[in-house]
Amino acid sequence: MARIENGRQSLDTMSIRTIGSSRMDDENSFGSDSEIDGFTSDRQTDKYGFIGGAQQHTEESAQDLHPQVLRQREVKWLDMLSHWDKWMIKRFNKVRLRCQKGIPPALRGRAWLYLSGGKVKKEQNQGKFQELDSQPGDPKWVDVIEKDLHRQFPFHEMFVSRGGHGQQDLFRVLKAYTLYRPEEGYCQAQAPIAAVLLMHMPAEDAFWGLVQICEKYLPGYYSPGLEAIQLDGEILFALLRRVSPLAFRHLEKHKIDPILYMTEWFMCAFSRTLPWASVLRVWDMFLCDGVKIILRVGLVLLKCMLGTREKLKACQGQYETMELLRAIEPRYMQEGFMVREILEVPVTARDVEKENHTQLKRWKKSRGELNFKSPPRMHGARIIMLSEPLRRQDLQQNPTIVLEVPPPKLKKEEKQSSMKKRISIKKSQPVVEIPNPYSLLSDVPPPPSDPPAPPPVSNETPETVPETVPETVPETVPETETDPSHQQQAPPTDLPCAKESPLKRSTQSLSSTEQDTYL
Amino acid sequence: MGSDESYNFVFKVVLIGESGVGKSNLLSRFTKNEFSHESRTTIGVEFSTRSVQMDNYTIKAQIWDTAGLERYRAITSAYYRGAVGALLVYDISKHLTYESVDRWLKELFDHADPHIVVMLVGNKRDLDTLRTVPTEEGKDFAEKRGILFMETSALDSTNVENAFNEVLKAIHKKVASREVTRGSICAVTIGSPIGLKGEAQGERRSCCKSS
Repeated sequence: MARIENGRQSLDTMSIRTIGSSRMDDENSFGSDSEIDGFTSDRQTDKYGFIGGAQQHTEESAQDLHPQVLRQREVKWLDMLSHWDKWMIKRFNKVRLRCQKGIPPALRGRAWLYLSGGKVKKEQNQGKFQELDSQPGDPKWVDVIEKDLHRQFPFHEMFVSRGGHGQQDLFRVLKAYTLYRPEEGYCQAQAPIAAVLLMHMPAEDAFWGLVQICEKYLPGYYSPGLEAIQLDGEILFALLRRVSPLAFRHLEKHKIDPILYMTEWFMCAFSRTLPWASVLRVWDMFLCDGVKIILRVGLVLLKCMLGTREKLKACQGQYETMELLRAIEPRYMQEGFMVREILEVPVTARDVEKENHTQLKRWKKSRGELNFKSPPRMHGARIIMLSEPLRRQDLQQNPTIVLEVPPPKLKKEEKQSSMKKRISIKKSQPVVEIPNPYSLLSDVPPPPSDPPAPPPVSNETPETVPETVPETVPETVPETETDPSHQQQAPPTDLPCAKESPLKRSTQSLSSTEQDTYL
Repeated sequence: MGSDESYNFVFKVVLIGESGVGKSNLLSRFTKNEFSHESRTTIGVEFSTRSVQMDNYTIKAQIWDTAGLERYRAITSAYYRGAVGALLVYDISKHLTYESVDRWLKELFDHADPHIVVMLVGNKRDLDTLRTVPTEEGKDFAEKRGILFMETSALDSTNVENAFNEVLKAIHKKVASREVTRGSICAVTIGSPIGLKGEAQGERRSCCKSS
């Protein structure tokens, strides 16, 4: 079905338009389990793994960061992850800021696991997932889950093969949850949530991430009765009154129940609505700050699509309004725009709780007590962490990536850097050849002639690279013999304060599947 | 949907039934002539429209589709509002999906208009070799309950048009005979002597024209 998915017409490569397809072979739809083999040239994936541009990745929306900036952020995140409790307790504002800027892709999975508290849960319940994994599961749930496996992100390379590893892991995670919480069972919207997690981490980690989302961030969303999602729909609507009175009145006038437009948005945390780059940014912030982010995204979309008189003129009825909300204009979902807008919405966790209280009272008056009382909602990573006792070892990274970097001197340098930043952006800088910090042994070293030794980045000035510098890091690495145990000997010389020493080899074996982190 | 065609009626029809029976593909087959083995699980509400030319009138069918999983029934009352027709779908190759039809009927009559036209649809007829619900069984059940019946295949298109057309015709008959008088705000006539009550009628006029 060439429908609108994640902001763009998805190319449904399996669409059957005419009669007679007895030749259709269910088991072989996209090639074998070896997903690489099944790919032909017209099945190129984008950088997130989607085939055929199914989740919208246009040039304008791509906010490509300079690799330099990315490397710097990675260093910062590695530092935070190595001292997670300290950062979370004493410097959470900084953690939040970094989440808002976007977690570097290479560390996203790990960061999400830490932010959500899934890491601690996993360490405190060692062996639990394996135990659940080994059980057959309630046949009633198994049946429904199996029906859904090929219906989550079917155009993502990870989930495209029926019976492939991606679908298998999805099954394992969802089944494990039904065993972990038999009174909850399975709710279909959990599948896309689990799938997004699986795109970034292995099954066990994804399982604990799912547990945290279902129990701490969005308790009751997936429970029988779906009461929590209905309540949040009312909260969204109530908050809309303040954020966009026009949109509010329109929805009220046409009696458009929130449940008619926000269900998929909220239950899937926008993973089926926004272009992928935006999904990732939203999740970075959501896992940091909780449901208020989800509410803010909803408010932004409603305001953008229904917030002006001209727009409302074009939709005079319930159906037309719903159609409009189903086809959000791409410019409103674009990463940069969306993030900026989210940060501007004047809705705090406190506002959410207040409105929650109000709506709950209304509910009880008209519908009686809640059938399924969920535990209280946690508004973000810090609260989650503080709510449960943890041991030092629970935060131990696995495998450990250690950079010999002395703690960045922040206050003085940040001031300098912000000054320098202002200056450097005004000037137009010449194109600078930046050596590949991760050059392989057989890489050709950069030409010595060109610009002088230190590239723009130095110890004190992180992120001063002007935005006009094109990417000069060579993208194609010359063919080398892949040496599985090769150790980098050329240290990164342009990273702040990196010492001239080889990277420490991790004490954990990276080739073991146990340590597979899908980074 | 983008065309400016005029039509006389707008009928809202809902698709209900267990998860995985093929509701979403019946929707896409009827409104877009498309089918996909890889359609996504429906979460929330999906909808699409198609205008159908009958003998001397045009009907704009607004077809609504939602998640089949049991717990989603908690949020369906908004979904049934204004519906004048329903296709209750089961999978002929999965007997379990047929066994819950009674529950679905109850659900329907608890939430929807009492005059709603219902058709029992046995989908996936292309899987005849894996059939577990005999045609006669479905047919008899439907007769006993006073509802329509048809077997379809969204995959190869068999009877999809017929099923929807039959339901739409039956709705029109009820509307024309004034059986449906209240609550069905989507059954609106424009410029027709049959003046159905709808406070929103004036509003509706511009609504229908603008889409």
